[in-house]
Amino acid sequence: MELKSRKVVITGAGVVSSLGDSPGALHSALCAGRSGARPIESFSAEGVGCPMGAAVEDFVPQSYLGDRNLRPLNRIAQLTAAAAQLALESSGWSDAMRREREVGLALGAMFCSVKTIAEFDRRALTAGPAYASPMDFANTVISAAAGQAAIWHNLRGVNSTIATGAASGLQAIAYAADLIRSGRATALLAGGAEEICFESVFGFYRAGLLCGSDPSSRGRANGHATFYSGYDKEGRHNGADHRDAGHFPIPFDARRNGFVLGEGAALLMLEDARTAAARGARALAEVRGHGGGFDCSRGWDTGHAVAAITRAMRQAMDDARLLPDEIDCLSASANGGVAGDRHEALAIEAVFGQREEPLPSTAIKSMLGEMLGASGGLQAVAMLETMRDGRLPGIRGLEQFDKDFPRHAISVCRQWRQLQRPRHALLNAVGFDGHCCSLALTARAEEF
Amino acid sequence: MRRRIVITGIGVVTSIGAGREVFWRNLLAGSSGISEIESFSTAGYRTRRGGEVKEFQAEDYVERLNPAGLGRASQFAIAAARLALEDASLSAGALAFEQAGVVVGTTSGEPQFVERFNDHYVKRELMRIGPELAMLYPCHVIAANVASELKFGGVNLMTPSACAAGNYAIAHAFDALRGGRAELMLAGGSDAFSRITFTGFSQLGAVAPERCQPFDRNRRGMIPGEGAGMLALEPLDRALARGARIYAEIAGYGLSCDAHHMTAAHAEGEGAARAMRQALAESDLLPEEVSYISAHGTGTPTNDRLETVAVKRVFDGAAYQIPISSIKSMLGHTMGAASAIEAAVCALAVFHDWIPPTINLETPDPECDLDYVPNQARRRRVEVAMNNAYAFGGANASLILRKRTWN
Repeated sequence: MELKSRKVVITGAGVVSSLGDSPGALHSALCAGRSGARPIESFSAEGVGCPMGAAVEDFVPQSYLGDRNLRPLNRIAQLTAAAAQLALESSGWSDAMRREREVGLALGAMFCSVKTIAEFDRRALTAGPAYASPMDFANTVISAAAGQAAIWHNLRGVNSTIATGAASGLQAIAYAADLIRSGRATALLAGGAEEICFESVFGFYRAGLLCGSDPSSRGRANGHATFYSGYDKEGRHNGADHRDAGHFPIPFDARRNGFVLGEGAALLMLEDARTAAARGARALAEVRGHGGGFDCSRGWDTGHAVAAITRAMRQAMDDARLLPDEIDCLSASANGGVAGDRHEALAIEAVFGQREEPLPSTAIKSMLGEMLGASGGLQAVAMLETMRDGRLPGIRGLEQFDKDFPRHAISVCRQWRQLQRPRHALLNAVGFDGHCCSLALTARAEEF
Repeated sequence: MRRRIVITGIGVVTSIGAGREVFWRNLLAGSSGISEIESFSTAGYRTRRGGEVKEFQAEDYVERLNPAGLGRASQFAIAAARLALEDASLSAGALAFEQAGVVVGTTSGEPQFVERFNDHYVKRELMRIGPELAMLYPCHVIAANVASELKFGGVNLMTPSACAAGNYAIAHAFDALRGGRAELMLAGGSDAFSRITFTGFSQLGAVAPERCQPFDRNRRGMIPGEGAGMLALEPLDRALARGARIYAEIAGYGLSCDAHHMTAAHAEGEGAARAMRQALAESDLLPEEVSYISAHGTGTPTNDRLETVAVKRVFDGAAYQIPISSIKSMLGHTMGAASAIEAAVCALAVFHDWIPPTINLETPDPECDLDYVPNQARRRRVEVAMNNAYAFGGANASLILRKRTWN
């Protein structure tokens, strides 16, 4: 069998987010322009410049996972297992089917749980090594959430965690699609997960990346390698002090001053189109192609940074055999970051600058926050809904376009808008260390 | 016709030496890299020995980046990557930069930055904490650092699949090359010592006090280790065209999940057997055609027993004819680097027709009754080598390498 001969379809989706725990609820909230960002309550945000986070509030894992013992699962594992449960239900993969056939899991995660690993170490530091919990140690490894979800749901196929920072989730979907295209697997859950915790919020605050951060209270990394730390090599904040924009992220806006962190989990059920059809599954969309690029300069060189994002988008379209004019909408990675949004905008101009009509686009991190490993999965779930009813969410808070924003290449609005039969969508994910991934999705023709 | 992918460069940083030649010589001699740990205080722990990489100077390898700004796992990975490129007679700029990629596996990433964070945190010195948890700790920086150092702009990611991560990375790179997404891949694994992993394995009751004795009746556990292994992988046609030395061809791999328990393997080796069978099927090989198995062989009472069960399940009677050894007896368990270093060992076994020993194997265990190549390296024709690795969360990975043939 030739490589890439198989079609990959999405037969279900599960999501747990700050804006709802179903694709429909998420879509309604995004189209209504609601923000999931609220003052953080799960830990004291005192001393943290950005007290906001888009957390999954009132998360009750039992409501998804039942009464089995949840104690071995930390928060990110519970979020992952809940999203997996919803994706398995929506795609019709019963317990009995999973005993018969292998289902795999490709999970994108940046930290998995930096909270668990930090707490494990603190217990050893303060009480002595003999008091650190062995069960917690198993949850410190970056693949722990994928392992826990596989145990919970009897997922016996490939079990892989993919880490490329904020590009992890989209990269995991791309990887899973390739496993199916090459005939290695016929069914995988793919997407990402991340949790909000003091450790990650404080880390990003000290990196100067959260919106509303006071640029004067800079942390000191020992020779940080990435430009996206928010500070230049002399220690100056590399964006203007736009604190008047407040504590909400506004992607592509001239006043943007950083992002808020979000959390959640989103998983798609990806299947070989033929085996999915054979079991009578409905296909929500097709994963048509993907592309990637790495910026060796890690953002320090604008030309390289833009070129890497450009490569990812072009490769994804080549892989999908689509031209720039055939793309109907774009889900941008932009999160309100000063440098990252600009690089993505310039890359979009390079790829779509010659289009006849500007490309309708959205940036849902304006409402969901930067969910790190979970972002790509959430973007994909939201895009499935856009393909279903044609409604494209707006960019919350957007008022003043950045001067580099290519308005002839893409069109963005503050409010949602109706698209006419969107067929092909492109999704972008750009990490903090040069990782870029793009994914091309195509609506199933019979849906229209 | 699928593209054939070969290994043309090997780079390792280990407790028994850095660089292919010295490593292989020490490995065949049965040298042990286990010693008293010096990089952090082991006061308060029940054991104090590990497979620590001593006398490592990042400055010897890191040319473009600032070595002081890199975590130890990144330093190891860059060193192994440079050694692999040099071994492959490739310069960093040999290819268009977007055609060259990096995939690295790890268990813990750069946990020393969590420790630095906590050292301040427990003293309530929050404002002395820098951005390390966001900027230096996340494991993706390892692959990013390797690629930035070498200016590789292609496929770049981490496969943090715990103690099977190296095999996951090599499998991923193999697919990227076969799918035409890259023309050169550096793939492997890296993990550095940290008090966090040392604490964790101690608390699991899995650490032996003195020696690692895989498959010995009196084995008392694993010994934590550190290091990195990176392989240079490229398509066969490209390797032949440039007259490269070819160590071995990647024949196939299998990945599976026990979906059983976070830290305990399945009692009948069900998932491990599925991974081995998948790898054999993809490689179009029969079990009896395998000439060497590099075991996961951690030296814990359960792992070695269950691994033996799994091998017998797949190989049946042939299991008794196939030499199987664990280099963890010499290096300790280098975690995410382990299966990458072991893949390098399989490539060298295939290339040199030598099999490294399992050292410290003195008393046979009736439950581990296969040929574990005790204490002495063995000269034997190695056509096909299988590399097995198992991880927390029940992830299993089997990789098969074979001698390059001309057909």
